Amino acid sequence: MVDSAKHFDFETGLKPIWLRAQTGDEAAYREALRLIANRLRAYLRRRMQSLPDDVEDLVQETLLALHLQRGTYDPALPVSAWVLAVARHKLIDLWRRRGRQDALHDVLDDFGDGQLVAEGGNDHEARRDLGRLLDSLPEAQRLAIRLTKVEGLSVAEASQRTGASESAIKVQVHRGLKRLMALVKG
Amino acid sequence: MKTETWIDMLAQGAGPAPHGQVMRRLVPVALLGLLFSAAVSLAVLGPVPAAMFQTPVPWMKLAYAGALAGAAGWLSAGLARPVARLRTPTHAVLAVFAVMTLLGGLAWWLTPTDDRLVDLMGHSWSTCPVSVLLLSLPSLAGGLWALRGLAPTRPRAAGLVVGLLAGALGAMGYALACVETSPAFVALWYTLGMVLSGALGAWLGPRVLRW
Repeated sequence: MVDSAKHFDFETGLKPIWLRAQTGDEAAYREALRLIANRLRAYLRRRMQSLPDDVEDLVQETLLALHLQRGTYDPALPVSAWVLAVARHKLIDLWRRRGRQDALHDVLDDFGDGQLVAEGGNDHEARRDLGRLLDSLPEAQRLAIRLTKVEGLSVAEASQRTGASESAIKVQVHRGLKRLMALVKG
Repeated sequence: MKTETWIDMLAQGAGPAPHGQVMRRLVPVALLGLLFSAAVSLAVLGPVPAAMFQTPVPWMKLAYAGALAGAAGWLSAGLARPVARLRTPTHAVLAVFAVMTLLGGLAWWLTPTDDRLVDLMGHSWSTCPVSVLLLSLPSLAGGLWALRGLAPTRPRAAGLVVGLLAGALGAMGYALACVETSPAFVALWYTLGMVLSGALGAWLGPRVLRW
């Protein structure tokens, strides 16, 4: 009961922000990703008790997958279901990579997620350094990501700076992030 | 990297979510697959006599395979998403199979007993399903590629359904070259060819649909 009420709160809190984010509201997107990251952390901690050090890596990987696939969200359906379906897919994929399919069973189904959320504070550092992985991307992709995502230039500014067209910049950013996903998965 | 930093990076300049991501991948692949299957079927097997298009025979095959392509394409679009409403498109796929089975059964029942076996087996029962399967392979490869770039969370089901879609596109091409006339033949052997493609898709799905 408590658990389903919490899911409901997550959905009602997230949905309006998420819908604004989908239309291109960047502040709303940032806020939505923060809410989602907290929910993912709780969801994954509870299911990855044997791999606690990998939780934050998988949170970040799932956020990347959600970002790359946000066009597959159907606004008629709950955004929480969409988020958790992707998280579950990423979790299964991780177990398969580790050859631990048996560990999928939710042994702790009677625990609420909330009991495992509090620890750790707000300073969530992943083990894997995505910054370093970014450096191994091809030059054009790395540059497009650095300019638009790290230095915070607009696509138009990045286009002026590099001489590449705006759509080329967008494509390089997207390809770079997809490539990053492949690197993250090892 | 801290998750906060990562979130800032993802959100920075993200713009609006892309529109029609699923359809923009699936539709071109399906059209190309259909084009391929029609071209190869006409070039390699040769078209049916033009007069045959005055009869309902090729239209029945095209309508069956076309309806299945539509329904399976609709369901594929759902399975390409992590969550989607799947009930109605699933019913549509099953309804297409049910209608053709009924039509084939009715034709079988109306055929005099002595002619039934000849009618059902035609002269090409042994090559029809394999031809449909072969003509569907490029669509299957394209469909799996399209799904791989999307977000299917049920890889076996997604592979099965995109295999049925590919099988239907292969059958549409094959219908242009197939001179069999019996609905019972179509209900059995066309269906078998399309189901083979679906089975291959279901086998490949968990292997290739990782993202």
